[in-house]
Amino acid sequence: MLKLLYKEFRLASHPTSFIFLALGAMLLIPAYPYFVVFFYTCLGIFFVFLAARENHDTVFTVSLPVRKRDVVKARVFMVVIIELAQLVIAVPFALLGAAINPNAEGNAVGIEANPAFFGLTLVMLALFNIIFIPTFYKTAYKVGKAFAAAVIPLGLYIILAEGIVRFVPALKTTLDTTDAAYLPVQLIVLAAGAVIFAAGNIAAFRLAAARFDKVDL
Amino acid sequence: MDILTVGNLRKSYPGFELKNVTFSLEEGYIMGFIGRNGAGKTTTLKSILNLVHPEGGQVMMGGLDFKDNELDCKQLLGWVSGAADYYPKKKLGTVVAVVRRFYENWDDGVFSGYLKRFKLDPNKKIDELSNGMRVKFALALALSHRARLFILDEPTSGLDPVSRDDLLEVFQSLVEDGERSVLFSTHIISDLEKCADLITYIKDGAVIASTELPEFVNAYRLVRGTERQLSSDALKNRIIGVRKYAYGMEGLIKTDDIPSGCEAQIMPADLESIMIHIEKE
Repeated sequence: MLKLLYKEFRLASHPTSFIFLALGAMLLIPAYPYFVVFFYTCLGIFFVFLAARENHDTVFTVSLPVRKRDVVKARVFMVVIIELAQLVIAVPFALLGAAINPNAEGNAVGIEANPAFFGLTLVMLALFNIIFIPTFYKTAYKVGKAFAAAVIPLGLYIILAEGIVRFVPALKTTLDTTDAAYLPVQLIVLAAGAVIFAAGNIAAFRLAAARFDKVDL
Repeated sequence: MDILTVGNLRKSYPGFELKNVTFSLEEGYIMGFIGRNGAGKTTTLKSILNLVHPEGGQVMMGGLDFKDNELDCKQLLGWVSGAADYYPKKKLGTVVAVVRRFYENWDDGVFSGYLKRFKLDPNKKIDELSNGMRVKFALALALSHRARLFILDEPTSGLDPVSRDDLLEVFQSLVEDGERSVLFSTHIISDLEKCADLITYIKDGAVIASTELPEFVNAYRLVRGTERQLSSDALKNRIIGVRKYAYGMEGLIKTDDIPSGCEAQIMPADLESIMIHIEKE
């Protein structure tokens, strides 16, 4: 597995994914829809798949002494590593942003960058992974179709998550704030997001591996 | 001992079917896998490697069932698909750094030796290599993990005659010690004449011959004559792929089928004319 992961980062990875990690700094922007940062993460992952396809990665990798399902597993691990790296890099910027511009009243255009936001982001990334990865591995080459299939529900999720927090007063008060008083409830959202992220990735891997196993290359 | 045995391999696509493909390759031999474009060469090779899923049949590699022992079998195998066109913008050294980790028997010393022998520069990018050099790079990788079976899908197509000859010489040197075997698909007849010990001929998804090259060539004769001679009762049902040529009509006949007292001219056939007549049938 480590050998395949090494291959993913040494050959298959695309520089954009790593450049986009710097976009965590966008959490310093006051009053901004912070989900956008993580949309770029998804875009970076799309570029990884696209570049790998153009480099004939699938046949190259499957020709090595590996199982097809491990090929998928390594790719899922890579995606998860990129996504978590984005999250971890974003956290100090969120803290710094809150320190510079403490905004107990809430974000004017979206949810504040607080633990609840990171929880909702993990759900968003899980949603992306569970649609994008298995859709891609249905054919192992239709990467654009997989991205389109994933990005539409992703957009709807962002609207829904932002909308509910904005228009449900109880949620607006507790989740769209950097007020430490609401930290416990926000941490619950973060924990729930982490559980959904983990479960989503396991499901994405299983579904994708089963589909890829059937693909004729 | 057979390094590769393929038995009753079946696979169907809309409009194309692999029909019980069966052949075997002994250690120390080079087998040319021939057939015209679309005959099923690539599908067969991919089915052998489980890259496409055959609907039936069995592949044994080094005495092991490929499906049940895929990882062990792949340790024995060097597979080159076309002109090895993966990761064209990566340096050879980077690709090697990845590939070497996957093989138990990888030997850096052997690899350096083949880099020198094939004049490959690890600091070059893959797309800076000619097609022939790319195949050599893929062979160097396979040789360095001590592969015993080399399966190559049309390795010589797109190469100039000198590079082709050069590559065929490399194939011959691979099997010299009698421990390695090469199976390569091609539709270039001269490749086979230069280096193949055995041929397996596939037509419309079915193997029509799998034998030693001289035996295959000797099994056929060319028949030349007038239209009347070739359509005589003695010949018309035995003749294969009749066509016009400059001085009359020409067809192919199995050596065993030549009737006694045949009026038409009987001549030795070469591989190219055998293929042309069989495909015309």
